[in-house]
Amino acid sequence: MKRSVPFEIFRYAAILAAMAVTLVPILWMVSMAFKPIGEWSATGADLTWWPKQPTLSNFQFVFGHSTNDLIVALDHTALKPILSSLLSAVFGTAIAMSAGTAAAYGLSRFGSGQNLPLALIQLRLFPPMAVMIPVMIMWAFLNLNDTWWGLALIYGIVTLPFAFWLMKTFFDDMPREIEEAALVEGCSRLRVFTRITLPMMRAPLASAALFVFILNWSDYLIALLLTTREWVTIPVYMASLSSSMTGQLYGAKAALGLIAAVPPVIMGIAIQRHLVRGLTFGALKQ
Amino acid sequence: MSAVTATISEDEMGARTKPATPDEGSRLGFRLTLPAQILVLFISAFPLLMQLYISVTDWSPLSGAGWWNAWEMWNSFANYTDLAADTRFWSALQRTAIVMLVCVPAEFLLGLALATLFADEFPGKRIFYSILLMPMMVVPAVAGYMFFMLFQSGGPVNDILSRIVGTPVTVAWLSDPNLALIAVMIADIWQWTPLMFLILLAGLVGVPEDQMKAATLLGANAWQRFITIVLPKMKTIIIIALAIRVIENFKIFDTLYIMTGGGPGVATETISVYIYKVTTQDLIWGYVAAIALAILIVLSIVAVYAMKRMAQAREVPA
Repeated sequence: MKRSVPFEIFRYAAILAAMAVTLVPILWMVSMAFKPIGEWSATGADLTWWPKQPTLSNFQFVFGHSTNDLIVALDHTALKPILSSLLSAVFGTAIAMSAGTAAAYGLSRFGSGQNLPLALIQLRLFPPMAVMIPVMIMWAFLNLNDTWWGLALIYGIVTLPFAFWLMKTFFDDMPREIEEAALVEGCSRLRVFTRITLPMMRAPLASAALFVFILNWSDYLIALLLTTREWVTIPVYMASLSSSMTGQLYGAKAALGLIAAVPPVIMGIAIQRHLVRGLTFGALKQ
Repeated sequence: MSAVTATISEDEMGARTKPATPDEGSRLGFRLTLPAQILVLFISAFPLLMQLYISVTDWSPLSGAGWWNAWEMWNSFANYTDLAADTRFWSALQRTAIVMLVCVPAEFLLGLALATLFADEFPGKRIFYSILLMPMMVVPAVAGYMFFMLFQSGGPVNDILSRIVGTPVTVAWLSDPNLALIAVMIADIWQWTPLMFLILLAGLVGVPEDQMKAATLLGANAWQRFITIVLPKMKTIIIIALAIRVIENFKIFDTLYIMTGGGPGVATETISVYIYKVTTQDLIWGYVAAIALAILIVLSIVAVYAMKRMAQAREVPA
């Protein structure tokens, strides 16, 4: 529909206002990550919106190269938390995607596992905090506490609903003619799935995997409860970067926050098209 | 496997796919869903029973006995009656409700307004769209830290306010019991308005344009078109969007906990924060299990309702 000129002016003004609100928190963190310690807590007239003397020392600090004696060395650098976040998120995604894709195909094509949709929605519904006591007990029993594989397992289960629902809508939308042709050619059902369906679904699979990865990477609460020292993830480590001796390590936290924030934002922009389906459990088609 | 179930699934399969041999299909389908079934069972059935069991005891990880010996600390339903009298629990619940009643409508209205602006094509749409979606992809804990910095008394929020009013503003947002809750809600609105925007926009572009044109020809103004055509068409999508945010907002933890730790005092202590504190600081796990179960039961009722709506939505062609 054609819109009037005043409307266009209003539209751009409103969008620019929304963008300003969207970007200020992000830009403040970016700015903070590159500020030297002297500018961290400048206030009033001295408040600097952009670092006057940009520095990489915050990044060097979180990786163990402290240039400032004021800051007491940490027990370990951010390297292991980053590794922990990566390993648990990647393997969690692998678990969720393999179980979820297989189940989605089973339900979409053969009607197996009719109970799964409801069971998986319920899994998503409950506050993680309300179901963590038995999980903490089980993980302690299985010696999975404070390990990245323990995190990967619980991440795989927690994000299984998203993997399942996304893949199910993708399979439901996929035309079956090619599969049927292959069946007529004498392919077995399993072969059709692994050799024809999955390769055709490469792009949707990649989108779903990125989506699940973002969710796993974003966790804070589960890692907070299930890791204590060895395999804490980036957000848990970030939160611990303050003490009575050093106070808030603003710059170091911001640098770490930036490291944690960048991958999901890039991935999210890459899979924008599928976000609606993923977040509404496929209830909306786009 | 019994012959009866085999026959039923054969019939079902026959209707679904023609060239396949039905047996092979149902066997493969069963095997494909097996891993997911096992994972769901692993994380639901056994833990739920364990939770139920612990909730009727005084067991805690400090009690010296393994959880399986918790029956020695049997206290029947004392945890549940304690819960009814636990004022800290009820005020946490109340606070969760306040946050939800402010944030979800605010996110909805802002998201709807943005979606309306994005309903048709205009130069720069794609790039604006990508930027406006960014907050929901920022790790919530990191978002919490962003807002922690923003709301420092010498931080940018006060700086902006100072410039607007002309005199230095030094409000201690996060250490004032009333303002802390507002700061937390602003962070939630910042992060989740994009989700509302995204979902509602998907619904808005599905509204048929010819109907809108016809209504315009008949003399309906924008507001009338919105009320009579757009809203009814989007009813299901709106319900889904609200349901998702209500569910997620109820769990609010990461952002809030990083910003305030539930404080000052208990000023921003929501249900999740309360349970977290009782779990990790007070360590009375029998009691936590009772709280958690009570919440699960209430939420299950919501779940059934939400599922019904979602099932209906899938039948509506978008």
